Amino acid sequence: MNDKVSKTLFFLIAAVYAGVLFSSSAQAAYLGDKIEYAGYLETEVWIKNNNDNGHQFLTSLKNELDLGIAYKLSDNWSFFFHPRYFYDYAYSIRDDSSFDENQEKMGHTQRTEWLRDCYLDFTSPQLDIRLGKQQVAWSQADGLPFILDRVMPFNLSYFWLPDFADIRIPLWMAKVEYSPWLNSSIQFLFIPDFEASRSAPANSAFALKSVNAWDNFKKLNESMGGTAEETLYRPHQDFENSRIGLRWRSMTGGVEYTLNWLYGHTPSAYTYTDSFTPVIPTTPFGNYKVSRRHKVVHVIGGSFNKSFLQPGPFEGWTVRGEFAYIHDEPTYYGTEGSRRLTESCDKYNWFIGFDRYFFTNWLFSTQFAQMISADEEKQGYHILSGYTYGVMEDVENIATVKIATDFMHERLKPEVLVIWSDDNDGRIAFKTQYEINENLWFTLGYYHFWGPEYGSNGQFRNNDHTFCEIKYTF
Amino acid sequence: MIGIKGIVQEKGGFAMGKIVLTFICLLFVFSVSAEDLGYYRVHSLKEGMSADEIMQIMYHNKYSLFAHDYSSTNEVLYVDSGGFTRKKSATRQRLIKGGEDGISYKDLVEVTYPTKVKGLAILTWTYEDPEKDQNVWLWVPSLKKVRKISASQDDDAFMGSDLTVEEVSTRRFEDEEYTLLGEKKFEGYAFEHNGEVKYKGNDCFVIECTPLKPHWYYAKRIVWVDKETGGGIFEEYYDKNGQLFKTLFREWVFMDVEGKKYPTQLALECKDLRTGHRTDIFLDNIVYDRQINEQVFTVKSLMRTKW
Repeated sequence: MNDKVSKTLFFLIAAVYAGVLFSSSAQAAYLGDKIEYAGYLETEVWIKNNNDNGHQFLTSLKNELDLGIAYKLSDNWSFFFHPRYFYDYAYSIRDDSSFDENQEKMGHTQRTEWLRDCYLDFTSPQLDIRLGKQQVAWSQADGLPFILDRVMPFNLSYFWLPDFADIRIPLWMAKVEYSPWLNSSIQFLFIPDFEASRSAPANSAFALKSVNAWDNFKKLNESMGGTAEETLYRPHQDFENSRIGLRWRSMTGGVEYTLNWLYGHTPSAYTYTDSFTPVIPTTPFGNYKVSRRHKVVHVIGGSFNKSFLQPGPFEGWTVRGEFAYIHDEPTYYGTEGSRRLTESCDKYNWFIGFDRYFFTNWLFSTQFAQMISADEEKQGYHILSGYTYGVMEDVENIATVKIATDFMHERLKPEVLVIWSDDNDGRIAFKTQYEINENLWFTLGYYHFWGPEYGSNGQFRNNDHTFCEIKYTF
Repeated sequence: MIGIKGIVQEKGGFAMGKIVLTFICLLFVFSVSAEDLGYYRVHSLKEGMSADEIMQIMYHNKYSLFAHDYSSTNEVLYVDSGGFTRKKSATRQRLIKGGEDGISYKDLVEVTYPTKVKGLAILTWTYEDPEKDQNVWLWVPSLKKVRKISASQDDDAFMGSDLTVEEVSTRRFEDEEYTLLGEKKFEGYAFEHNGEVKYKGNDCFVIECTPLKPHWYYAKRIVWVDKETGGGIFEEYYDKNGQLFKTLFREWVFMDVEGKKYPTQLALECKDLRTGHRTDIFLDNIVYDRQINEQVFTVKSLMRTKW
């Protein structure tokens, strides 16, 4: 998109917002009895609070158009189509070199034409079938994707900050849900489609430290006469490589539980050093052959939840929990900041969470999670974080607290989410939504990171952001 | 279940011997307990009924316990003191379980408007045991998954309206003590939404309801129960200083369903007199007994949501 077109689009969208600001008339969301639609036009701005040499203040100025259309074919059959388009204007108006030199790599950060959903639905009392592009979420946890929320690949262009429905990358699949009796169902997933999880490209605002480190090393290595040949191995999209998932959900004695099994290639690609020939002896500079591979893993787990309904000390509390055993997950080993090996390792991840309302409408939600690795060391090297190549413990602890409420008859909805992990690493996210009128919403957010340089949040400690968004819905 | 203290108050504090009191207590237990009213039957108000009997029938009608199932579309208007209006729409389906597995009824509310919250769906199971909270599941569009959640506190605003959760769905007969203040003709209610005056001159029972919970958000409410439909048509809420702070009007009609007359709510108007804010709720496309499958009221059904 050239500058003239993007500027025109930008001012057109601004004019639409100005027009609707003073209009609160409700729009019809139905066309006849069979077609239902809904969508939005949104502008979001991300501003970086802590400037450093690598980044200027404007991270994103994004316009987005989203439309969902449902067509009812009969009482049992329906079709849903949901495209989304966005364009990030920040890439057009910024002229600093660190931003521009990555334009090519940042293609899908800047603009994406995505078919978010496109599926055919069959529903009946006992059997539901959904065929097509869709997303499936298994987890009971909020914001903890490393346990059971592993069906979909993720887009981490903005780390884990946006809503999870927007972070998950939809896939073409078949989802079959059969209920042999009331309140029990078995879900079968057949996923022939493959998309890799994405992280933000090197030197972008939310680029992972490990991505930046490899990018920087390649440049240094080249200057020392070395080379790096990278090969990406994606699983072929055929029957043999399809991922399969099963989930049993039921209730017993007021406890709702699931049993889950997922088998297939990991959506994340892992880096392997296939060969290395030094050009300068006793230094890491040389000729590298590096591959990025998706490995087959088993995920076996389960989850539960229970609300305490009877009078007593726990009345009003809901407890949630989840466990996953991940067999042979590719894992990095090395020293602080330097990956040396990629080896399979079994993981045992779990969480427990508690929710309750206090003082009428203040929701208090807390979670505690652990990521446990079976092998803390391999060949004398220590386990590393995939985000930063920072040294991890064999047991990593994470705690979250979320407090949310509303004022002005739900027009004003503030919430705060705090995430802590080991070594005083964490982030805090403030978010407030305000309903200007029923079709126009304003959101203001602030993200603050802290922690050590190699912490999963600490890597962004100079990367606090203010975020605002205006959304017109129709 | 209401206690002996309640009955004594209802009868105006008259003193009885122990045997007579026990007899009345047993009579009460066998005549007007929630279970004995019976599901799937329409009950009518009669002259000479006690406050407890009247309120039992009012609750029976409020939660449509006479029907097997119920569905409607709801439009909620939020109007502030300056007239600025916001709207929300939802569909509601209810299955009356009649005490099976201890469940009184199951409710499914799906928000259809505005788009920002379209797709939000709330599944609620309400139990017969008055001590037991509701079980609540939520389909969260921003997460695209079902979340089990804690039941909202009873004094929280229902969907941000002027009505509390208790006033819409959780208040039960057993939560208050009742005193019959008398039988009066209703003065009429001027519906702010369209200016129509409703129920002028209707014969009503007037009942004072005192919450059993200490330090609750109201000290008492006065309820006008329409003798014809058995619906609570007007409520006045008073604080501990005896100050009126909220009114709630409900419009009731009879719907003819296969020869049976079902008392049905068509509209509500709730006014907060402290802020000048009001909430109007209109119920439309009301259908009873269409044999909704119980699978609709399961978590699997919540996952069908597209938005």
